Amino acid sequence: MTKVVIVDQEEKICASVIKHTGAEHRRLANQVMQQALAQASLEFDEIAYVIATGYGRIMVPFADRQITELTCHTRGVFHLNPNVRLAIDIGGQDAKGLKINNGRLLNFVMSDKCAAGTGRYLETTAHTLGLRLEDLDSISLKSSNKVSISSTCTVFAQQEVISRLSEGAPLEDILAGIHDAIASRVARMVERLKVEPDVVLTGGVAKNAAVVKALEEKLGCKILVPQEPLLSGAIGAALLSKEIIQKARERCEPIRRKQRRLDEATFFK
Amino acid sequence: MVYCMGIDIGSGTSKGVITKDGKLEAYILLPSGINYKVAAQKLRDELLMQAGLAIDDIASTISTGHGADIIPFNNKHVADMLCCAKGISHLFPSVRTVIDVQRQSSQVIKLDGKGLVTDFVISDMCASGSGCFLEVIANILQLELKEIGALSLKSENPVIFTTGCAVFGESEAISRVAEGISKEDILAGVHLALAGKLAALVEKVGLEKPCAISGGGGLNVGLIKKLEELGLHLLVPPQPQLVNALGASIMAEEQVTN
Repeated sequence: MTKVVIVDQEEKICASVIKHTGAEHRRLANQVMQQALAQASLEFDEIAYVIATGYGRIMVPFADRQITELTCHTRGVFHLNPNVRLAIDIGGQDAKGLKINNGRLLNFVMSDKCAAGTGRYLETTAHTLGLRLEDLDSISLKSSNKVSISSTCTVFAQQEVISRLSEGAPLEDILAGIHDAIASRVARMVERLKVEPDVVLTGGVAKNAAVVKALEEKLGCKILVPQEPLLSGAIGAALLSKEIIQKARERCEPIRRKQRRLDEATFFK
Repeated sequence: MVYCMGIDIGSGTSKGVITKDGKLEAYILLPSGINYKVAAQKLRDELLMQAGLAIDDIASTISTGHGADIIPFNNKHVADMLCCAKGISHLFPSVRTVIDVQRQSSQVIKLDGKGLVTDFVISDMCASGSGCFLEVIANILQLELKEIGALSLKSENPVIFTTGCAVFGESEAISRVAEGISKEDILAGVHLALAGKLAALVEKVGLEKPCAISGGGGLNVGLIKKLEELGLHLLVPPQPQLVNALGASIMAEEQVTN
Protein backbone atom coordinates (compact mmCIF):
# COMPACT_ATOMS: atom_id res chain seq x y z
CA MET A 1 0.00 0.00 0.00
CA THR A 2 1.09 3.55 -0.66
CA LYS A 3 0.05 6.02 2.02
CA VAL A 4 0.26 9.80 2.03
CA VAL A 5 -0.29 11.95 5.13
CA ILE A 6 -0.21 15.74 5.19
CA VAL A 7 0.05 17.53 8.56
CA ASP A 8 -0.08 21.22 9.41
CA GLN A 9 2.06 23.19 11.86
CA GLU A 10 -0.12 22.11 14.78
CA GLU A 11 0.44 18.44 13.91
CA LYS A 12 -3.14 18.14 12.78
CA ILE A 13 -3.69 15.66 9.95
CA CYS A 14 -5.11 17.57 6.95
CA ALA A 15 -5.21 14.65 4.55
CA SER A 16 -4.56 10.91 4.48
CA VAL A 17 -4.83 8.59 1.50
CA ILE A 18 -4.17 4.83 1.27
CA LYS A 19 -3.88 3.18 -2.15
CA HIS A 20 -2.70 -0.15 -3.50
CA THR A 21 0.91 -0.09 -4.62
CA GLY A 22 0.99 -3.10 -6.96
CA ALA A 23 3.70 -4.01 -9.43
CA GLU A 24 2.88 -1.43 -12.09
CA HIS A 25 1.78 1.34 -9.79
CA ARG A 26 4.69 1.50 -7.43
CA ARG A 27 6.30 4.26 -9.46
CA LEU A 28 3.07 6.24 -9.35
CA ALA A 29 3.35 7.63 -5.83
CA ASN A 30 2.74 11.03 -7.45
CA GLN A 31 -0.87 10.04 -8.16
CA VAL A 32 -1.50 9.17 -4.51
CA MET A 33 0.11 12.48 -3.54
CA GLN A 34 -2.21 14.35 -5.89
CA GLN A 35 -5.23 12.76 -4.23
CA ALA A 36 -3.97 13.80 -0.81
CA LEU A 37 -3.39 17.36 -2.06
CA ALA A 38 -6.93 17.47 -3.44
CA GLN A 39 -8.28 16.23 -0.11
CA ALA A 40 -6.46 18.99 1.76
CA SER A 41 -7.20 21.59 -0.99
CA LEU A 42 -3.52 22.36 -1.31
CA GLU A 43 -1.06 22.87 -4.17
CA PHE A 44 2.11 20.79 -4.18
CA ASP A 45 4.24 23.93 -3.77
CA GLU A 46 2.49 24.68 -0.50
CA ILE A 47 3.95 21.53 1.06
CA ALA A 48 7.01 22.70 2.97
CA TYR A 49 8.84 19.37 3.13
CA VAL A 50 8.29 15.82 1.89
CA ILE A 51 9.78 12.71 3.50
CA ALA A 52 9.42 9.32 1.85
CA THR A 53 9.70 6.10 3.83
CA GLY A 54 9.05 2.37 3.46
CA TYR A 55 10.28 -0.21 0.98
CA GLY A 56 9.66 2.01 -2.02
CA ARG A 57 11.01 5.23 -0.55
CA ILE A 58 13.54 5.60 -3.37
CA MET A 59 10.68 5.46 -5.88
CA VAL A 60 9.46 8.87 -4.76
CA PRO A 61 11.34 11.38 -6.92
CA PHE A 62 9.49 14.35 -5.44
CA ALA A 63 10.58 13.70 -1.85
CA ASP A 64 13.08 16.05 -0.19
CA ARG A 65 14.48 13.26 1.88
CA GLN A 66 14.24 9.52 2.46
CA ILE A 67 14.11 8.18 6.02
CA THR A 68 13.91 4.51 7.02
CA GLU A 69 10.59 3.10 8.12
CA LEU A 70 11.98 2.24 11.56
CA THR A 71 12.50 5.91 12.38
CA CYS A 72 9.20 6.98 10.86
CA HIS A 73 7.24 4.22 12.55
CA THR A 74 8.74 5.01 15.92
CA ARG A 75 7.79 8.68 15.50
CA GLY A 76 4.29 7.85 14.26
CA VAL A 77 3.45 5.30 16.93
CA PHE A 78 4.85 7.52 19.69
CA HIS A 79 2.61 10.33 18.45
CA LEU A 80 -0.43 8.05 18.58
CA ASN A 81 0.45 6.61 22.00
CA PRO A 82 3.21 8.26 24.07
CA ASN A 83 3.25 5.26 26.47
CA VAL A 84 4.25 2.79 23.78
CA ARG A 85 7.08 0.43 24.78
CA LEU A 86 6.71 -2.16 22.07
CA ALA A 87 5.41 -1.47 18.58
CA ILE A 88 4.67 -4.43 16.36
CA ASP A 89 4.14 -3.74 12.69
CA ILE A 90 2.87 -6.53 10.45
CA GLY A 91 2.67 -5.56 6.82
CA GLY A 92 2.19 -7.48 3.63
CA GLN A 93 5.91 -7.85 3.12
CA ASP A 94 7.49 -8.07 6.57
CA ALA A 95 6.96 -8.03 10.32
CA LYS A 96 8.86 -5.82 12.74
CA GLY A 97 9.10 -5.35 16.45
CA LEU A 98 10.29 -1.98 17.78
CA LYS A 99 11.35 -1.45 21.37
CA ILE A 100 10.58 2.17 22.21
CA ASN A 101 11.11 4.29 25.30
CA ASN A 102 9.99 7.92 25.44
CA GLY A 103 9.82 8.02 21.69
CA ARG A 104 13.34 6.68 21.22
CA LEU A 105 14.01 3.49 19.34
CA LEU A 106 16.08 1.22 21.60
CA ASN A 107 16.12 -2.01 19.63
CA PHE A 108 14.27 -3.80 16.87
CA VAL A 109 13.71 -7.20 15.29
CA MET A 110 12.56 -7.81 11.79
CA SER A 111 11.56 -10.67 9.54
CA ASP A 112 11.41 -10.03 5.81
CA LYS A 113 12.92 -13.16 4.29
CA CYS A 114 9.91 -15.41 4.69
CA ALA A 115 6.23 -14.80 4.01
CA ALA A 116 5.11 -16.79 7.07
CA GLY A 117 4.45 -14.33 9.88
CA THR A 118 3.55 -11.50 7.49
CA GLY A 119 0.26 -10.31 6.05
CA ARG A 120 1.12 -12.21 2.93
CA TYR A 121 0.39 -15.44 4.80
CA LEU A 122 -3.20 -14.29 5.34
CA GLU A 123 -3.58 -12.94 1.80
CA THR A 124 -2.44 -16.26 0.37
CA THR A 125 -4.83 -18.17 2.63
CA ALA A 126 -7.75 -15.92 1.65
CA HIS A 127 -6.90 -16.58 -1.98
CA THR A 128 -6.70 -20.35 -1.43
CA LEU A 129 -10.08 -20.40 0.27
CA GLY A 130 -11.71 -17.95 -2.12
CA LEU A 131 -12.50 -15.57 0.72
CA ARG A 132 -12.03 -11.83 1.11
CA LEU A 133 -9.08 -10.88 3.30
CA GLU A 134 -11.29 -8.71 5.50
CA ASP A 135 -13.65 -11.62 6.23
CA LEU A 136 -11.02 -14.01 7.60
CA ASP A 137 -11.05 -12.80 11.18
CA SER A 138 -14.79 -12.86 11.79
CA ILE A 139 -15.06 -16.44 10.45
CA SER A 140 -12.06 -17.54 12.49
CA LEU A 141 -13.40 -16.07 15.74
CA LYS A 142 -16.40 -18.46 15.55
CA SER A 143 -14.10 -21.45 16.08
CA SER A 144 -13.80 -23.23 19.39
CA ASN A 145 -11.57 -26.04 18.17
CA LYS A 146 -8.70 -24.83 16.07
CA VAL A 147 -6.94 -27.09 13.59
CA SER A 148 -3.21 -27.15 14.12
CA ILE A 149 -1.25 -26.10 11.01
CA SER A 150 2.10 -27.86 11.12
CA SER A 151 3.88 -26.28 8.13
CA THR A 152 5.77 -23.07 8.67
CA CYS A 153 6.05 -22.30 4.97
CA THR A 154 3.17 -20.33 3.45
CA VAL A 155 3.13 -22.51 0.35
CA PHE A 156 3.01 -25.76 2.32
CA ALA A 157 0.43 -24.32 4.71
CA GLN A 158 -1.90 -23.78 1.74
CA GLN A 159 -1.60 -27.45 0.82
CA GLU A 160 -2.32 -28.32 4.43
CA VAL A 161 -5.39 -26.07 4.38
CA ILE A 162 -6.71 -27.89 1.32
CA SER A 163 -5.99 -31.31 2.86
CA ARG A 164 -7.79 -30.37 6.08
CA LEU A 165 -10.75 -29.04 4.09
CA SER A 166 -11.00 -32.24 2.06
CA GLU A 167 -10.93 -34.21 5.31
CA GLY A 168 -13.97 -32.24 6.40
CA ALA A 169 -12.54 -29.85 8.99
CA PRO A 170 -14.78 -26.78 9.42
CA LEU A 171 -13.58 -23.60 7.74
CA GLU A 172 -13.56 -21.59 10.97
CA ASP A 173 -11.35 -24.16 12.71
CA ILE A 174 -8.84 -24.11 9.86
CA LEU A 175 -8.78 -20.32 9.86
CA ALA A 176 -8.32 -20.28 13.62
CA GLY A 177 -5.25 -22.50 13.05
CA ILE A 178 -3.92 -20.11 10.41
CA HIS A 179 -4.36 -17.08 12.68
CA ASP A 180 -2.75 -18.96 15.54
CA ALA A 181 0.22 -19.83 13.31
CA ILE A 182 0.89 -16.24 12.24
CA ALA A 183 0.48 -14.97 15.81
CA SER A 184 2.91 -17.62 17.11
CA ARG A 185 5.50 -16.66 14.59
CA VAL A 186 5.25 -12.95 15.34
CA ALA A 187 5.17 -13.57 19.11
CA ARG A 188 8.32 -15.69 18.93
CA MET A 189 10.05 -12.88 17.07
CA VAL A 190 9.06 -9.98 19.35
CA GLU A 191 9.67 -11.96 22.55
CA ARG A 192 13.35 -11.44 21.83
CA LEU A 193 12.74 -7.79 22.78
CA LYS A 194 11.17 -8.47 26.20
CA VAL A 195 7.54 -7.51 25.89
CA GLU A 196 6.33 -4.58 28.04
CA PRO A 197 3.08 -2.64 27.86
CA ASP A 198 1.90 -0.58 26.16
CA VAL A 199 2.05 -2.83 23.12
CA VAL A 200 0.80 -1.21 19.91
CA LEU A 201 0.07 -3.18 16.77
CA THR A 202 0.16 -1.45 13.38
CA GLY A 203 0.25 -2.42 9.73
CA GLY A 204 -2.52 -3.98 7.67
CA VAL A 205 -2.66 -7.13 9.80
CA ALA A 206 -3.64 -5.02 12.84
CA LYS A 207 -7.06 -4.75 11.20
CA ASN A 208 -7.52 -8.47 11.72
CA ALA A 209 -9.24 -9.00 15.08
CA ALA A 210 -8.37 -12.72 15.19
CA VAL A 211 -4.64 -11.98 14.96
CA VAL A 212 -4.97 -9.30 17.66
CA LYS A 213 -6.76 -11.78 19.95
CA ALA A 214 -4.30 -14.62 19.32
CA LEU A 215 -1.35 -12.30 19.83
CA GLU A 216 -2.82 -10.97 23.09
CA GLU A 217 -3.08 -14.56 24.35
CA LYS A 218 0.48 -15.39 23.33
CA LEU A 219 2.08 -12.24 24.71
CA GLY A 220 -0.14 -12.16 27.78
CA CYS A 221 -1.02 -8.49 27.54
CA LYS A 222 -3.48 -6.10 25.95
CA ILE A 223 -2.68 -4.96 22.44
CA LEU A 224 -3.66 -1.48 21.33
CA VAL A 225 -4.52 -0.82 17.71
CA PRO A 226 -4.65 2.73 16.29
CA GLN A 227 -7.81 3.81 14.50
CA GLU A 228 -6.04 3.61 11.13
CA PRO A 229 -3.15 1.17 11.69
CA LEU A 230 -1.79 1.55 8.17
CA LEU A 231 -0.87 5.18 8.58
CA SER A 232 1.61 5.21 11.46
CA GLY A 233 4.71 5.24 9.22
CA ALA A 234 3.35 8.02 7.01
CA ILE A 235 2.23 10.02 10.06
CA GLY A 236 5.73 9.66 11.46
CA ALA A 237 7.25 10.84 8.18
CA ALA A 238 4.91 13.85 8.10
CA LEU A 239 5.75 14.77 11.70
CA LEU A 240 9.49 14.44 11.05
CA SER A 241 9.03 16.77 8.05
CA LYS A 242 7.29 19.27 10.25
CA GLU A 243 10.10 19.08 12.82
CA ILE A 244 12.78 19.65 10.19
CA ILE A 245 10.99 22.77 8.98
CA GLN A 246 10.39 24.00 12.52
CA LYS A 247 14.04 23.56 13.49
CA ALA A 248 15.26 25.30 10.36
CA ARG A 249 12.95 28.25 11.01
CA GLU A 250 13.98 28.52 14.67
CA ARG A 251 17.62 28.63 13.68
CA CYS A 252 16.88 30.84 10.69
CA GLU A 253 18.63 28.30 8.46
CA PRO A 254 17.62 27.78 4.85
CA ILE A 255 15.47 24.70 4.23
CA ARG A 256 17.42 22.25 2.11
CA ARG A 257 14.90 21.11 -0.40
CA LYS A 258 15.32 19.22 -3.61
CA GLN A 259 14.47 20.53 -7.01
CA ARG A 260 11.28 18.60 -7.17
CA ARG A 261 8.39 18.04 -9.47
CA LEU A 262 5.40 15.90 -8.81
CA ASP A 263 6.43 13.25 -11.34
CA GLU A 264 6.33 9.51 -11.49
CA ALA A 265 9.48 7.50 -10.90
CA THR A 266 11.40 6.81 -14.09
CA PHE A 267 13.87 4.15 -13.01
CA PHE A 268 12.45 1.54 -15.31
CA LYS A 269 12.48 3.56 -18.49
CA MET B 1 12.39 -65.69 -8.83
CA VAL B 2 9.83 -63.42 -7.27
CA TYR B 3 8.12 -60.24 -8.25
CA CYS B 4 8.15 -57.34 -5.82
CA MET B 5 6.48 -53.95 -5.88
CA GLY B 6 7.67 -50.51 -4.82
CA ILE B 7 5.22 -47.67 -4.44
CA ASP B 8 6.17 -44.02 -3.88
CA ILE B 9 3.25 -41.70 -3.17
CA GLY B 10 4.64 -38.21 -3.62
CA SER B 11 2.78 -34.97 -2.97
CA GLY B 12 2.63 -34.35 -6.71
CA THR B 13 3.25 -37.60 -8.55
CA SER B 14 2.77 -41.22 -7.48
CA LYS B 15 5.25 -43.72 -8.82
CA GLY B 16 5.11 -47.50 -8.86
CA VAL B 17 7.48 -50.21 -10.11
CA ILE B 18 7.53 -54.00 -10.26
CA THR B 19 10.94 -55.65 -10.20
CA LYS B 20 12.21 -59.19 -10.53
CA ASP B 21 15.81 -60.09 -9.69
CA GLY B 22 16.68 -56.45 -9.51
CA LYS B 23 15.33 -55.77 -12.99
CA LEU B 24 12.54 -53.36 -13.79
CA GLU B 25 9.52 -55.27 -15.13
CA ALA B 26 6.92 -52.50 -15.16
CA TYR B 27 6.59 -48.93 -13.98
CA ILE B 28 3.96 -46.25 -13.87
CA LEU B 29 3.63 -42.57 -12.94
CA LEU B 30 0.31 -40.95 -12.03
CA PRO B 31 -0.69 -37.62 -10.50
CA SER B 32 -1.35 -38.10 -6.77
CA GLY B 33 -4.34 -35.78 -6.63
CA ILE B 34 -5.98 -34.94 -3.33
CA ASN B 35 -6.78 -38.47 -2.19
CA TYR B 36 -3.64 -40.57 -1.70
CA LYS B 37 -5.65 -43.71 -0.98
CA VAL B 38 -7.37 -43.55 -4.35
CA ALA B 39 -4.05 -42.76 -6.04
CA ALA B 40 -2.32 -45.75 -4.45
CA GLN B 41 -5.11 -48.16 -5.38
CA LYS B 42 -5.18 -46.95 -8.98
CA LEU B 43 -1.42 -47.09 -9.19
CA ARG B 44 -1.31 -50.71 -8.06
CA ASP B 45 -4.13 -51.82 -10.35
CA GLU B 46 -2.62 -50.22 -13.45
CA LEU B 47 0.83 -51.47 -12.59
CA LEU B 48 -0.36 -55.07 -12.29
CA MET B 49 -2.27 -54.76 -15.54
CA GLN B 50 0.81 -53.45 -17.33
CA ALA B 51 2.96 -56.29 -16.01
CA GLY B 52 0.24 -58.85 -16.75
CA LEU B 53 0.34 -60.07 -13.15
CA ALA B 54 -2.21 -60.72 -10.44
CA ILE B 55 -1.84 -59.42 -6.92
CA ASP B 56 -0.92 -62.89 -5.65
CA ASP B 57 2.14 -62.88 -7.92
CA ILE B 58 3.66 -60.04 -5.89
CA ALA B 59 5.70 -61.49 -3.04
CA SER B 60 6.09 -58.23 -1.17
CA THR B 61 5.25 -54.53 -1.48
CA ILE B 62 7.09 -51.64 0.13
CA SER B 63 5.68 -48.14 0.06
CA THR B 64 7.38 -44.82 0.63
CA GLY B 65 6.83 -41.10 0.15
CA HIS B 66 4.57 -38.38 1.48
CA GLY B 67 1.35 -40.41 1.44
CA ALA B 68 2.76 -43.86 2.15
CA ASP B 69 1.29 -44.22 5.63
CA ILE B 70 -2.31 -44.22 4.44
CA ILE B 71 -2.09 -46.80 1.65
CA PRO B 72 -5.16 -49.02 1.89
CA PHE B 73 -3.58 -52.40 1.02
CA ASN B 74 -1.00 -54.69 2.57
CA ASN B 75 2.50 -53.29 2.44
CA LYS B 76 5.46 -52.20 4.49
CA HIS B 77 6.31 -48.55 4.90
CA VAL B 78 9.93 -47.41 4.64
CA ALA B 79 11.29 -43.85 4.90
CA ASP B 80 11.97 -42.28 1.51
CA MET B 81 15.55 -41.47 2.46
CA LEU B 82 16.34 -45.20 2.76
CA CYS B 83 14.51 -46.02 -0.46
CA CYS B 84 16.36 -43.28 -2.29
CA ALA B 85 19.70 -44.58 -1.02
CA LYS B 86 18.79 -48.10 -2.07
CA GLY B 87 17.51 -47.06 -5.47
CA ILE B 88 20.44 -44.87 -6.42
CA SER B 89 22.99 -47.45 -5.22
CA HIS B 90 21.24 -50.00 -7.40
CA LEU B 91 21.58 -47.77 -10.44
CA PHE B 92 25.00 -46.26 -9.66
CA PRO B 93 26.80 -48.50 -7.13
CA SER B 94 29.70 -46.09 -6.72
CA VAL B 95 27.61 -43.02 -5.79
CA ARG B 96 28.62 -41.35 -2.49
CA THR B 97 26.26 -38.35 -2.47
CA VAL B 98 22.73 -38.06 -3.81
CA ILE B 99 20.60 -34.93 -4.09
CA ASP B 100 16.93 -35.89 -4.04
CA VAL B 101 14.78 -32.99 -5.24
CA GLN B 102 11.10 -33.65 -4.65
CA ARG B 103 8.10 -31.41 -4.89
CA GLN B 104 7.66 -30.72 -1.17
CA SER B 105 11.13 -31.37 0.15
CA SER B 106 14.74 -31.94 -0.77
CA GLN B 107 17.30 -34.16 0.85
CA VAL B 108 20.97 -34.82 0.45
CA ILE B 109 22.09 -38.32 1.42
CA LYS B 110 25.66 -39.53 1.91
CA LEU B 111 26.46 -43.15 1.16
CA ASP B 112 29.43 -45.30 2.03
CA GLY B 113 29.74 -46.73 -1.51
CA LYS B 114 28.13 -50.01 -0.41
CA GLY B 115 24.58 -48.70 -0.22
CA LEU B 116 24.63 -47.73 3.46
CA VAL B 117 23.57 -44.25 4.54
CA THR B 118 26.26 -42.43 6.52
CA ASP B 119 24.70 -38.98 6.78
CA PHE B 120 21.79 -36.97 5.48
CA VAL B 121 20.11 -33.57 5.64
CA ILE B 122 16.50 -32.79 4.81
CA SER B 123 14.95 -29.48 3.84
CA ASP B 124 11.19 -29.68 4.21
CA MET B 125 10.24 -26.52 6.08
CA CYS B 126 10.36 -24.12 3.19
CA ALA B 127 9.03 -24.30 -0.37
CA SER B 128 11.99 -22.39 -1.76
CA GLY B 129 14.22 -25.41 -1.11
CA SER B 130 12.11 -27.81 -3.17
CA GLY B 131 10.58 -28.28 -6.59
CA CYS B 132 7.58 -26.31 -5.37
CA PHE B 133 9.51 -23.07 -5.92
CA LEU B 134 9.89 -23.90 -9.62
CA GLU B 135 6.20 -24.76 -9.80
CA VAL B 136 5.19 -21.42 -8.26
CA ILE B 137 7.26 -19.44 -10.75
CA ALA B 138 6.20 -21.60 -13.72
CA ASN B 139 2.60 -20.85 -12.75
CA ILE B 140 3.18 -17.11 -12.75
CA LEU B 141 4.78 -17.31 -16.19
CA GLN B 142 2.00 -19.63 -17.39
CA LEU B 143 4.47 -22.31 -18.40
CA GLU B 144 4.53 -26.06 -17.95
CA LEU B 145 6.89 -27.40 -15.31
CA LYS B 146 8.52 -29.67 -17.87
CA GLU B 147 9.49 -26.85 -20.25
CA ILE B 148 11.00 -24.33 -17.83
CA GLY B 149 14.37 -26.06 -17.40
CA ALA B 150 15.22 -25.92 -21.09
CA LEU B 151 13.90 -22.35 -21.41
CA SER B 152 16.09 -21.18 -18.54
CA LEU B 153 19.18 -22.33 -20.44
CA LYS B 154 18.60 -19.58 -23.00
CA SER B 155 19.23 -16.86 -20.44
CA GLU B 156 22.54 -15.04 -20.13
CA ASN B 157 21.45 -12.73 -17.38
CA PRO B 158 19.65 -14.51 -14.53
CA VAL B 159 17.42 -12.43 -12.29
CA ILE B 160 18.53 -12.44 -8.65
CA PHE B 161 15.79 -13.45 -6.19
CA THR B 162 16.47 -11.54 -3.01
CA THR B 163 14.45 -13.12 -0.21
CA GLY B 164 14.70 -16.90 -0.40
CA CYS B 165 10.93 -17.25 0.05
CA ALA B 166 8.78 -18.81 -2.66
CA VAL B 167 5.83 -16.53 -1.89
CA PHE B 168 7.91 -13.37 -2.02
CA GLY B 169 9.70 -14.86 -5.02
CA GLU B 170 6.32 -15.01 -6.74
CA SER B 171 5.83 -11.25 -6.25
CA GLU B 172 9.38 -10.59 -7.34
CA ALA B 173 8.74 -12.55 -10.53
CA ILE B 174 5.57 -10.53 -11.17
CA SER B 175 7.52 -7.29 -10.67
CA ARG B 176 10.22 -8.47 -13.09
CA VAL B 177 7.58 -9.35 -15.69
CA ALA B 178 6.12 -5.85 -15.27
CA GLU B 179 9.58 -4.38 -15.81
CA GLY B 180 9.84 -6.24 -19.08
CA ILE B 181 12.47 -8.81 -18.05
CA SER B 182 12.33 -11.96 -20.17
CA LYS B 183 10.81 -15.22 -18.97
CA GLU B 184 14.13 -16.93 -19.62
CA ASP B 185 16.00 -14.60 -17.26
CA ILE B 186 13.40 -15.01 -14.53
CA LEU B 187 13.51 -18.80 -14.93
CA ALA B 188 17.30 -18.86 -14.86
CA GLY B 189 17.04 -16.85 -11.63
CA VAL B 190 14.70 -19.28 -9.90
CA HIS B 191 16.78 -22.27 -10.98
CA LEU B 192 19.86 -20.52 -9.63
CA ALA B 193 18.09 -19.78 -6.33
CA LEU B 194 17.03 -23.41 -5.89
CA ALA B 195 20.46 -24.70 -6.94
CA GLY B 196 22.01 -22.40 -4.33
CA LYS B 197 19.81 -23.85 -1.59
CA LEU B 198 20.63 -27.41 -2.67
CA ALA B 199 24.35 -26.65 -2.82
CA ALA B 200 24.12 -25.31 0.74
CA LEU B 201 22.51 -28.59 1.81
CA VAL B 202 25.32 -30.53 0.13
CA GLU B 203 27.84 -28.38 1.94
CA LYS B 204 26.22 -29.26 5.27
CA VAL B 205 27.00 -32.94 4.87
CA GLY B 206 30.14 -32.46 2.77
CA LEU B 207 30.39 -33.43 -0.89
CA GLU B 208 31.88 -36.77 -1.81
CA LYS B 209 32.04 -37.78 -5.43
CA PRO B 210 30.47 -39.21 -7.45
CA CYS B 211 27.28 -37.28 -6.86
CA ALA B 212 23.87 -38.10 -8.35
CA ILE B 213 20.49 -36.42 -8.53
CA SER B 214 17.09 -38.08 -8.10
CA GLY B 215 13.46 -37.06 -7.84
CA GLY B 216 11.52 -34.79 -10.18
CA GLY B 217 14.35 -32.25 -10.02
CA GLY B 218 16.48 -34.71 -11.99
CA LEU B 219 14.24 -34.15 -15.02
CA ASN B 220 15.12 -30.47 -15.10
CA VAL B 221 18.10 -29.64 -17.31
CA GLY B 222 18.11 -26.04 -16.10
CA LEU B 223 18.53 -27.11 -12.49
CA ILE B 224 21.23 -29.65 -13.37
CA LYS B 225 23.11 -26.96 -15.33
CA LYS B 226 22.98 -24.50 -12.45
CA LEU B 227 24.14 -27.17 -9.98
CA GLU B 228 27.01 -27.93 -12.35
CA GLU B 229 27.96 -24.24 -12.38
CA LEU B 230 28.13 -24.48 -8.59
CA GLY B 231 30.61 -27.33 -8.88
CA LEU B 232 28.24 -30.26 -8.54
CA HIS B 233 28.72 -32.62 -11.45
CA LEU B 234 25.85 -35.03 -11.41
CA LEU B 235 25.02 -38.53 -12.50
CA VAL B 236 21.45 -38.47 -13.75
CA PRO B 237 19.36 -41.65 -13.79
CA PRO B 238 17.32 -42.23 -16.96
CA GLN B 239 14.12 -41.88 -14.92
CA PRO B 240 15.02 -39.89 -11.81
CA GLN B 241 11.45 -39.81 -10.49
CA LEU B 242 11.41 -43.61 -10.18
CA VAL B 243 14.50 -43.94 -7.97
CA ASN B 244 12.67 -44.14 -4.65
CA ALA B 245 10.02 -46.58 -5.90
CA LEU B 246 12.77 -48.70 -7.40
CA GLY B 247 14.65 -48.63 -4.11
CA ALA B 248 11.49 -49.71 -2.29
CA SER B 249 10.99 -52.64 -4.64
CA ILE B 250 14.64 -53.74 -4.40
CA MET B 251 14.35 -53.57 -0.64
CA ALA B 252 11.22 -55.73 -0.79
CA GLU B 253 13.13 -58.29 -2.91
CA GLU B 254 15.97 -58.39 -0.40
CA GLN B 255 13.54 -58.98 2.45
CA VAL B 256 11.81 -61.80 0.60
CA THR B 257 15.03 -63.64 -0.35
CA ASN B 258 16.63 -63.28 3.08
